[in-house]
Amino acid sequence: MKQSEMDTKVVCGVTLRKDPARESCFKVVDTDAQMVAWPDMSPQSRRERLHRHMNNEITSLDIAAQCLADFPDAPWDLRMQLARQAWDESRHVTALHRRLKEIGGFKGEFPVANFEWTVTCILDSLVGRLTLQNRTFEAGAMDLMARLPGKWREAGDGETADLLDSIAADEIQHVRFANQWIRKLTSEDKRLLFKVAHAVRFLAEVNAAFAPAPGETNVVGQVIANAGQVAPINAADRELAEFSDEEIAEVLRQAGFPALVPRQEAQA
Amino acid sequence: MNVKTRAEAVGTFRHVNVFLMETLAAWVPSTAEMEAKVLFGRHIWLVAQVADRLGRRARELRAPLHFSRLPSASYVKALDALAALTQTAPRLEGLYRTALPSLRGGYASYVAETDRLIDEPTVVVLEDAMREIDRMQSESIRLVEEFPALREGASSATGELRRRFAEATDMIDVRREPQSA
Repeated sequence: MKQSEMDTKVVCGVTLRKDPARESCFKVVDTDAQMVAWPDMSPQSRRERLHRHMNNEITSLDIAAQCLADFPDAPWDLRMQLARQAWDESRHVTALHRRLKEIGGFKGEFPVANFEWTVTCILDSLVGRLTLQNRTFEAGAMDLMARLPGKWREAGDGETADLLDSIAADEIQHVRFANQWIRKLTSEDKRLLFKVAHAVRFLAEVNAAFAPAPGETNVVGQVIANAGQVAPINAADRELAEFSDEEIAEVLRQAGFPALVPRQEAQA
Repeated sequence: MNVKTRAEAVGTFRHVNVFLMETLAAWVPSTAEMEAKVLFGRHIWLVAQVADRLGRRARELRAPLHFSRLPSASYVKALDALAALTQTAPRLEGLYRTALPSLRGGYASYVAETDRLIDEPTVVVLEDAMREIDRMQSESIRLVEEFPALREGASSATGELRRRFAEATDMIDVRREPQSA
């Protein structure tokens, strides 16, 4: 599907794909400043974290499904991976919703944002979407998820910790198949590298446009975290997801952890 | 039923399952109700697996790997009418109470007609697929029992769809030449 055929919206001066359908109980917002989030692990913060994660999984389901619908000529084995991902994300949504209700929350309790959908699905190539959604957003989530179970366990909630760890294991596969297919598709058609580069550049532009001003706060007065302060790299899961040693080393360098780069890599 | 006839039937069943996979995929982002969206998302994978198994079986019947074949013109029209549904309640009713029972009927007819021994690989796939249809229907029934609003307006909006599927008695087009992998 060409961009000109898509329903779009403009946020922070950037043209993005219009949001997927959400129930009226959800208040859909566009920026972190419009969201609710607390840094602690208070009961309301826990509910908000699960609620946000649940919507992120809905968004991942929407994206995988839209890729299946938009690219009927993609290789069948890749379509199978996307179909499997849709099933995984569906199970994640249901499991998170179940846990959210168990701790006293409900859908629509907090605002939600569909950032990943709006950025990923504006791209008109499957390789571009895999680059952003699976290889960038999901890989980033994989880094974050390496620490989250411990945080919940420390807060006394082992059940949520185990759930998040199970979800994280599934996400490795989603990143792995994207890495495998991006390599395969770009090796078969070098011109697709332009689509990959365009996707990466586009995300950088969006991140710059969405970056909060220093000290900017969200709806509940909390200072919005700088998107540049990324979670420590989850090198073990990235390796399972078939990032090469060189790619992991590059991510470590960019994240400000050059000392963690193996010596050989650092000298390269 | 000879090998060619079996391949044509398997290719047709595969086409229908791929069509359902794509229809569900298109419905997911455009469905607001979270539980219905999730149901469609789960079932994308179930029909995809059936399509995959049928595609591999086709090759064993001298057709290309993942051979697909258009159904009869009347069945194509019925499928198109299904895909065109825009509201959640008619989608649920149209898929789980009209289209899937029709597909199940097509599988059952094939299994009744073929040589169960010599064509056992196809029979196994189709009997598994029928069980999956039963499972999908059960899940959809549980959903609308939990959320009765998802029934509202469904029957009136799917009257035309039911008529089209009722008219499409022959899913497999016996006149069409095969060969579209």
